[in-house]
Amino acid sequence: MIAARRTFDALERGLEPLAMRHPSLALAGADALGRLRNRLSRRWPSPQQIGILFPHLDRRAAARVAWSLGALEARNRLLVACIERAGLEPVRPMVRTPPDAFAALRPPLVLGTFHVGAVQALGAVIERLPGPVLILRQGLLYEPCPPVEIASTEGDDQHRAASFRRALAHLDNGGFVVLALDVVQGAGLQVACLGRTLELARGPFALARLAGAPLVPIVARWRQGGVEAEAGEALAVDTTLGPAAWEGALAASAGGWLERYLLESPSELGLGLLRILLA
Amino acid sequence: MSASTTIEETVRDLLRSRAPLAQGRADLPDDLRLGAGGLGLDSISMVELLLDCERRFGIKATGLLEGAPLTVGRLAAHVREAVQG
Repeated sequence: MIAARRTFDALERGLEPLAMRHPSLALAGADALGRLRNRLSRRWPSPQQIGILFPHLDRRAAARVAWSLGALEARNRLLVACIERAGLEPVRPMVRTPPDAFAALRPPLVLGTFHVGAVQALGAVIERLPGPVLILRQGLLYEPCPPVEIASTEGDDQHRAASFRRALAHLDNGGFVVLALDVVQGAGLQVACLGRTLELARGPFALARLAGAPLVPIVARWRQGGVEAEAGEALAVDTTLGPAAWEGALAASAGGWLERYLLESPSELGLGLLRILLA
Repeated sequence: MSASTTIEETVRDLLRSRAPLAQGRADLPDDLRLGAGGLGLDSISMVELLLDCERRFGIKATGLLEGAPLTVGRLAAHVREAVQG
């Protein structure tokens, strides 16, 4: 088992040089390796784990989803290695989202994402947003190009407060703020998703409330060797609610959006999110 | 009571309304931190407190979150100086 894992790890690492010159080809190789790895190991995820979250799938369909998630993880591992080496340069040509796809999105706007699909490719996608973008994320995976900026959310409460304040100012100045909803560093809000409880970060919802800005879900997915992005409708919430109830309702709406998205596309579920949902 | 004292007491009252650990405390010493190890305000509550100060006093409370840990005294002094010009 350990020898097989090491062999697959080595084969995946061997794709990294190829990915710098021919990313689509290398990613297709990673996809095949990840799929095979999952078929052989039947672990993380196993078809049974998929069945817990998607009980409407029969055994064969659950197995196919598990293989696809193995492929997704291998693609994403290779993509992260690529970005660490060369930034977003190799990713940009893979973005299939038309330049005017986000023309309807008007800042100030909070764009919330989840760890599904080609989440690490979102950096190249949001360069196409029609306005200045501030990404809040843990650490700096790559050096962004203006008008995209990144503020790290690492550090203590005061550091995170400084990033949060910067995001508020960015929205006040008519910008986009992009951040993950399912990475909880401080306070969290529990929502229902796929029959389980999922904790979402409170920050994005508080940010939308304090800025008076809509919150729109955005995700990226692999499609035919490229990356496509999808922005949902602004999440609806009863505006008469008090601050805490308003944030809770908006978070519940986000959980509902994620559930609908994953029921439609179970093969987009990231392994980290799957682990959280199964915990 | 001087204007300075009134401003600093109002800041402390805002703190009491935001920080559960500050409620009912008559003394909020200058060196008490707002975050961990002090009043335990999380990042969002810290920002909301600064927005409270901005609205209440008509000032800009920028730059306070960078650098040294934010304390009761630092916040109160910043507000007092901003108000008094």
